Amino acid sequence: MVYTVALIGNPNVGKSVIFNNLVPGARQHVGNWPGKTVEKKEGKCVHKGTELKIVDLPGTYSLTARAVDELVSRNYIVEEKPDVVVHIIDASNIERNLYFTFLLLELEANVVVALNMFDVAKEKGYTIDVKQLSKQLGVPVVPTVATANEGLDKLKDEIVYAAQKKGLVKVKPVITYGQKIEDVIDSIVDIIKDGMLAQKYPPRWLAIKLLENDKDVLEKIKGSRHHRELMEVIS
Amino acid sequence: MKAKEVLGDDPEIVLADKRYDLVSNILATSLVKGAKKWTITDMLDKVFIHKFLGIPVFIALFWAMFRFAYDASAPFMEIIGFFFESLAEASAGIPNEVLASLIGDGIFGGLGFILTFIPPIFFLFFGIAILEDSGYLARAAFIMDRIMFKLGLHGRSFIPMLLGFGCNIPAMMATRSIEGEKDRLITLLVNPFISCGARLPVYILIAGAFFGSMATTAIWSMYFLGIVVAILLALLLRKTLLKGEPAPFIMELPLYKAPTFYGSVIHMWERGVQFLKKAGTYLLAGAIMLWFLSTFPWGAEVELSYTGQIGQALAPLFAPLGFDWRIVASLVFALLAKEIAVEALGIIYAVEGETAIAGALVASYNPVIGFTLMAFTLLYIPCVATIGTMKKESGSWKWTIFQLVLTLVVAYVVGLVITGIGTALGYA
Repeated sequence: MVYTVALIGNPNVGKSVIFNNLVPGARQHVGNWPGKTVEKKEGKCVHKGTELKIVDLPGTYSLTARAVDELVSRNYIVEEKPDVVVHIIDASNIERNLYFTFLLLELEANVVVALNMFDVAKEKGYTIDVKQLSKQLGVPVVPTVATANEGLDKLKDEIVYAAQKKGLVKVKPVITYGQKIEDVIDSIVDIIKDGMLAQKYPPRWLAIKLLENDKDVLEKIKGSRHHRELMEVIS
Repeated sequence: MKAKEVLGDDPEIVLADKRYDLVSNILATSLVKGAKKWTITDMLDKVFIHKFLGIPVFIALFWAMFRFAYDASAPFMEIIGFFFESLAEASAGIPNEVLASLIGDGIFGGLGFILTFIPPIFFLFFGIAILEDSGYLARAAFIMDRIMFKLGLHGRSFIPMLLGFGCNIPAMMATRSIEGEKDRLITLLVNPFISCGARLPVYILIAGAFFGSMATTAIWSMYFLGIVVAILLALLLRKTLLKGEPAPFIMELPLYKAPTFYGSVIHMWERGVQFLKKAGTYLLAGAIMLWFLSTFPWGAEVELSYTGQIGQALAPLFAPLGFDWRIVASLVFALLAKEIAVEALGIIYAVEGETAIAGALVASYNPVIGFTLMAFTLLYIPCVATIGTMKKESGSWKWTIFQLVLTLVVAYVVGLVITGIGTALGYA
């Protein structure tokens, strides 16, 4: 059984360094500026007898349908459904990066967080309670310093562990938007949950994207038999 | 139930705010920020991205980089040049005269000549690698983008643009991160104006022949001409065909890091090896083709060869720029890859029995023609590979063809301006 592992995160947080580290012989261009990886790159690695297919996705700040690269990353996660999605975070910019983790959790991806550039965060005077963070997010969190090869073995352990227990744990949504908004989300989910789209995409995610007027998802529901019903709620 | 009643007019922002609240809640229990420290990155950015100092620093650093690439490569170019000239002379001893000409004029005179430009290309890529790895290149992009944004243009275009200093193809692919179709299209259309590594041999040959101690400045001015033309054209497109409001300008700057020698050499190699691969394939095939076209019909003067015929047929169109049939023929072949302009000149002169190309250029042309040729090579129709990438990235033949026409017109107009100014100043 080969597990598929996607690497994702903001630009210039060290995804390519981690990719090169995970995949023996890989030489992804690594440079000190955002936007080096524009096409997804794939490689294979074996960790403690488990085969992993690693996919390096383009670095993006968000997962909207506005830029081509964001759509590529997002479609990969919703459509290809990788076994594990490793979200690589710049620990020294944790606030903005965690926002992205939420987007991934909303996609119902099986997330493992790599808290990279941990050294830079420390230099900046940050103290991060990794265990507490992991508990609150409901996903494994591993501090790493990819350029110094620190924490990557632990990361691989967590990836394999997460891949193997996939499907056994059903986590309740970490992100809740308050009663009123949740009611709207529920009403949309009720409409779409039996439809074709809901078999392919997480219904809750579809509902949230519809509320955000996401171009791509709006396009997708056009063919749906619930189209009129949905538009009544949204518009 | 109506979503609008709960979420208001901008639901995306309402939901984003909620997510940020949750992020703060989570971090409240798991993150302790110490006192804000004054880091090296903060200090350097006070100067490097300063409102007024930023641009002069950018200009100076790039000038220094070209100076380095030009000066450091000079002795290596001499060695490689001597090597191929000797081989070309030795091959005159081959009994079969067609074969002797193919090897001497085509392979050593053409391909060998373009190979003498390996050192400056590699040294330039080394300089770019140092600027890139240190985190400075992202600042350079930021400075340019700030100007772009103030002009009402998309403010995240220059990251892909500066990638163009290596090659326009990855630069065009990098535009995928740009939000908004129109902004992306503008960036794609003006991208070929950013000078790539393949134009460097042309600059070095011409600048070295005509501008002596000012050679570095002449080369550097091409890179700036490219940037200025790209910005002006982007502005023009924004005001005419692709009207719209730019997306908000937010850019994250990486931390400064001390570049390592090993790391920069790897980066130099990654970009430089593309040139070597091209030399072994396209440029080799190009040399054989050019040699054939320039020597046949066999026994005819070069002027009457196929190359000569192509050049002479088109030369009247370019007479206002001072280009003769040799230059015009070279530019036609350079559509395959811009280095071929140099390779073609090498072969045309070699077949004419001339090995000292720089000297031959000085004898045939004046500095104004030289400078016009540099600018024209920079601006005119991009190479086939870039055209293919434009088609792929824009998904439209219409815009691809528009780009071809646009670049040709811009090159011609800029060429006329340079010729006019240069002649008025009495350099012709």
